[in-house]
Amino acid sequence: MKKFIAILSLAAITFGCEIDKQINPNAPAVVNIITAATEADMNNLVIGVLARMRNSHAIYVTATGTITRELYLFDADPRNTTDLIGTTGSLDNDSFYTTANWINRYRTIKNCNLILDALPNAIISDAKKDAYSGFAKTMMAHQYLILYSAYFDSGIRLDVSDPANLGPLVTDASAVLTFVRNLLDEANGDLTGSDFSMGLSSGFDGFDDAAGFSQFNRALAARAALYDGDMVDALTHLGNSFFDLAGSLTTGPSMNFSTSGGDLLNDLFKVPQQNGNQIVVSDTWVNEAQAGDTRVTSKSAVRDNPSAKSGINGTNETSLYASATSPISIIRNEELLLIYAEANIGTNNVEALAGINAVRSAAGLADLAGTVTVDDVLVERRYSLWGEAHRMVDLRRTGNLNDTYITLDPIVVDGTPAVQIIYNQFPLPLDEVGS
Amino acid sequence: MRDNYLKKGLIAIAFMLSCSLLMAQDQQVSGTVTDATSGDPLPGITVQVKGTTTGTITDIDGKYSLSVPSGSVLIFSSIGFSAVEVDAGSAGDIQMKTDVTNLDEVVVTGLASSIKRSNLANAVGTVSAEELTGMTNQATLDGALYGKTTGVNLVSISGAPGGGIAMRLRGISSVSGNNQPLIIIDGIYMSNAEIPSGLRFASGANRGNEEQASNRLADIDPNDIQNIEILKGASAAAIYGTRANAGVILITTKRGSSGKTQFSLSQDLGFSKARRLIGLRNWNATNVAATFGDSEVAAFNAANQLFDYEDMLFGETGVIKNTNLSARGGNEKTTFFIGGSIRDEEGIMLNTGFKRYNIRTNIDHKISDRVRIGTASSFIRSETDRGFTGNENEGGLAVIYNLAYTRPWYDLRPDQFGNYPDNPTSFGNMLLVRDQAKNKDKVNRTLQALKFEADIIKTDEQVLKFSWNGGLDYFTNETYVYVPEYHQAQAGVQNGYIGAGKNVFTNLNYQAFLVHDIFLGDLALSTSVGVSYLNFKREFLFNESTQLIPGQTSLTQSSTQRIRQDLQNEEEFGVIFQEQANYNDMLIGTVGVRMDKSSLNGDPNKMYPFLKASLAANIHNFDFWSVDQISQLKVRVAYGETGSSATYGSLFTNFDATNINGQSGVIIGTQLGNENLEPETSKELEFGLDVGLLDGLVGLEFSMYNRKVNDLLFDRSLPPSGGFSTETIGDADLENKGVEIALRAKPVSNGTLIWNSTVSWWKNEATYTRVGVPAFTVPNNGFGLGLGTFYMQEGGTVTAIYQNVDGTPTPVGDTQPDFQMSFYNTLNILKNFDLSFLVHWKKGGENLNLSDLLFDDGGTNPIIDERGAQYADTWIQPAGYWRLREVALYYTIPSSSLNVFGGAIQSVKIGMSGRNLWTKTDYLGYDPEVSTNGTNAISNGLDVGPYPSTKQVFFHLNVNF
Repeated sequence: MKKFIAILSLAAITFGCEIDKQINPNAPAVVNIITAATEADMNNLVIGVLARMRNSHAIYVTATGTITRELYLFDADPRNTTDLIGTTGSLDNDSFYTTANWINRYRTIKNCNLILDALPNAIISDAKKDAYSGFAKTMMAHQYLILYSAYFDSGIRLDVSDPANLGPLVTDASAVLTFVRNLLDEANGDLTGSDFSMGLSSGFDGFDDAAGFSQFNRALAARAALYDGDMVDALTHLGNSFFDLAGSLTTGPSMNFSTSGGDLLNDLFKVPQQNGNQIVVSDTWVNEAQAGDTRVTSKSAVRDNPSAKSGINGTNETSLYASATSPISIIRNEELLLIYAEANIGTNNVEALAGINAVRSAAGLADLAGTVTVDDVLVERRYSLWGEAHRMVDLRRTGNLNDTYITLDPIVVDGTPAVQIIYNQFPLPLDEVGS
Repeated sequence: MRDNYLKKGLIAIAFMLSCSLLMAQDQQVSGTVTDATSGDPLPGITVQVKGTTTGTITDIDGKYSLSVPSGSVLIFSSIGFSAVEVDAGSAGDIQMKTDVTNLDEVVVTGLASSIKRSNLANAVGTVSAEELTGMTNQATLDGALYGKTTGVNLVSISGAPGGGIAMRLRGISSVSGNNQPLIIIDGIYMSNAEIPSGLRFASGANRGNEEQASNRLADIDPNDIQNIEILKGASAAAIYGTRANAGVILITTKRGSSGKTQFSLSQDLGFSKARRLIGLRNWNATNVAATFGDSEVAAFNAANQLFDYEDMLFGETGVIKNTNLSARGGNEKTTFFIGGSIRDEEGIMLNTGFKRYNIRTNIDHKISDRVRIGTASSFIRSETDRGFTGNENEGGLAVIYNLAYTRPWYDLRPDQFGNYPDNPTSFGNMLLVRDQAKNKDKVNRTLQALKFEADIIKTDEQVLKFSWNGGLDYFTNETYVYVPEYHQAQAGVQNGYIGAGKNVFTNLNYQAFLVHDIFLGDLALSTSVGVSYLNFKREFLFNESTQLIPGQTSLTQSSTQRIRQDLQNEEEFGVIFQEQANYNDMLIGTVGVRMDKSSLNGDPNKMYPFLKASLAANIHNFDFWSVDQISQLKVRVAYGETGSSATYGSLFTNFDATNINGQSGVIIGTQLGNENLEPETSKELEFGLDVGLLDGLVGLEFSMYNRKVNDLLFDRSLPPSGGFSTETIGDADLENKGVEIALRAKPVSNGTLIWNSTVSWWKNEATYTRVGVPAFTVPNNGFGLGLGTFYMQEGGTVTAIYQNVDGTPTPVGDTQPDFQMSFYNTLNILKNFDLSFLVHWKKGGENLNLSDLLFDDGGTNPIIDERGAQYADTWIQPAGYWRLREVALYYTIPSSSLNVFGGAIQSVKIGMSGRNLWTKTDYLGYDPEVSTNGTNAISNGLDVGPYPSTKQVFFHLNVNF
């Protein structure tokens, strides 16, 4: 009997089914692309970068916009109208306004790094490899620049290509700018003479060959140089970009949205006259505008039924985007004109005036005369770039991110004015602190 | 005497295993069964011919009559009484003694083994059909278990019809994996998945587990169930290996018995109402101005009336209808049970409800003396209309979320043309959502079990049995979510939403065992060896349409469509060995091992061993024992190990599909795959003491356990700068410590009153004993440290809610109660009246009431006026309660009154009952029992606008004929 049992159990173990090594039936594996990427694989990664850079862009715009009292986001999450204006005492390092932007910028950077990782083994020409390299580094630099704007000296990780071996958190914000500027220069070097034939999304029309993409790269370099206080380089880079004193203010590449299945819609578009989900314009932005500034009426609209949320109210709502598929500009000529004006202050007032007045006349305002000041430029930037996440970095780099410069909207909760704080930057996300 | 008893028992077992009854002449046996203490006749006692399935039950007057082969032995048994065995020749009037400890009950403890309760080394919870459904109408099986056994913690995630219950056996078993116990019904590994309908893609809820879907145990009709055994911890469940980390629920459905075919019809009619509503503030111009500013006063004054939207939404009375019809019968060779039921349950919100149609056929057949087969076969169709509740982000769908922001002076009712106005202060009009949006699902399910048994060797000294079980659980789940294009959150953006899912689940399992029993004088040995295989396949197909053609509700009628597909396949194989030794019913020891491999592990062919060992000592059976007052004294100790593999997909690093403007591409997935995953394992040590007093009138069962879960699998939050958000690793341990006490007694038993009472008390504490990585928030649970979440920190309480306090993650509440206690009483009064009630006390424990936060933020919380401040200081609220879970009164019509039917009707019982009729709690939300993160997550007690819970009243009619 014992023998019988023994034989049977032995048989069971021996002939027990062999389970196959598992392969994911639902999605391509990373390892396959790294080891032998085809041109199609590379293009997939490129589109992935362009698609992902849009995620959490809206919360970046509204969170920084709320901190600088440009606008208020009225939506399902009360933290948008409490935490961000300081009524809770501090910004939380584990709430969506801190984490979402960070996560998606680094996820986009990861796709860029995968492009770079795949290049050595990719089955494509060297000239094409240069183009992919230039693209990846430029896009990566753009993402780092957003991280710099939002997180400043809370610590930004620059070396992130190996998730098991991450580089240090850099708390010296100027080192981040240096890194970004170098990366952009490297990218521009790669782009020169490259075979740039990847199909970018339609927001890059006109900037989708080596020369065009290089102009975009230089525009970003001008922005980075301005932030770094390097006015000489800023002007040089503008010269190689699509900067055009006489050109349209809206020229420049943009992020597209569509109703295609699985695509994103523009979250910064809000259905007119809705209170539940709305971007409400700060009354100070409307009230402190220069008389006749058409930017106020083109970018905002009067609310029919201005209901308050968390004690905050405003007479106007956003009308920056016409529909849920309106593109969002990445960088455009209007900003370049104002960089041009600012970079010329103190060295060439004529050119500074040319830059600032090109913007003012488009807004229906009279030309400035006399000496252009940084304050003059800041005013124009406030109205020209409203709702595009520039205000926080602009005020910080000019030492104005405080309540002496910013007029606070009165916010009343339970009949008493709320204590407000203007934050300098977002904290390092919790998951980044812990490691 | 004791030696004799054992021998007799062993021979009896041998007989039961055999079917080789000599067909002798029949003889007629009849008599009355009475209670030995009170002398009252006992109805419902099972009378069975030993070693056969032939039998009957006593009638209302305790009488039985049976035709049996001469020379056979009769067994009289019933829960609550010691079994009596007599020769058929000397049978007649029988007296039975109360035994509240149910020592003779046979408990199934393993894949192919069972043991008498008196010899059991674990505290296995058993719930009989009578306890489960005998009192009141039960919508779902899990909901029916509340307070009925120790060590079980149940939390309802939604008050909506169709269930949704998170079940925890002895605390926390996993952080990212499975916390719901394994469900095995008649040998079928049954899926208890909670399948989201995809409404999050319209509502903006963060994850599928915020959709408040029901778990699929809801498909089982509790009335089909004969009994439930609950293997709570690893020491009892070890033989189930790598699927049993959260415990095992073994369900046996009703089966036939030979004899005259018995029909049973029951009809329930019930009504449900919201248990509690939040109510309106006492609005006046002053508090309107204080909360919303002076500008709002004009709107308030202009309206000149207030609309109580909460009452419009949840003020309905839901009608519940339940009809059951069954037949059982058979002959010597073949017995059957056929049952069917229809349940139709309306919710307290219009257009919500649950319907279930169920038909079952269970057949047992003896092919020959030595070979038996049995089947259990059922088909179920469930239809659920869940409505929209829970969390959301700007979707304008979750009705309570939006209610919180709705100021009651704005009229949201449709105009005469049926147009619903937009909600001026929130994201959607709840009345539009209630009337015109849809969130439904439909399940068509078949459960099939096949059992084959053969006695290979059978002598007086030994029996060798081969048994094979196969099970199939196949179902399709169809979900449908519809939001019309004119909903304010849709218009101008997505322009309407349809999400239609088609999900196919196929669970296949089989096991083959050899069981060898040998009797060596004082020692009996039972050896089992076997193999077990299972294969679970899941196919999720989800179709979405947006930009709908106005007025259209079909996927096709849209300009934007998207498909998501997810295929999952799991395969497992195990080898089992178990040896059980019984020395004279004094010492009973068991050792066993199960070796399992799984496709979910990094190495799919590596075998992981799970051990078990237990010893029970029946002190009262030793010769030196002479304390007559103590009829039972058992000391027991048990150790066991179980495992759980990572969830499907944890091994892979892959790209996700993405696109921009219709140009497609790939983006790195958020999860970093881990190809070295090993299962997390649970190791439990349980000590127990069982005492029987006063000849079985009082029984005490005491258990304490320490259950460690080692190499806990969890989704570690990675620094997001690396591009990945999570990675599954196994680098932490937790420990559950608990105590369970059950005291059963029959304080009164006489001609006018028979009172049975069970008092249960249990508690569990779960602590992280090791966390191998820096402390972090548990993914897929809670709402970040800003609002409150769960946090993995060495030495921390697993069930604690953490918030950032001055920048430091700090525990601010604990969802785990201090203890739970239940009082279960049945009283038979004047023979024909049965009164029963179940009171449940949950002491302590806190919830994070974010619904309250929403009502505060919306300025509509009635407590604001009283408090004098719009926002509470904290939304952590005490969540303990006293609750009258079940109460029932039945009247059995005297059989004499039924004579008018000429014997066609055997018994008629009428009654009424209630569920949750009374609750005492300090909690401010709809119900202290709440969980917004679904059934599986470790987080309970998070409250974000759930479907309000209900209290229910039922009327019952049961007829046997």
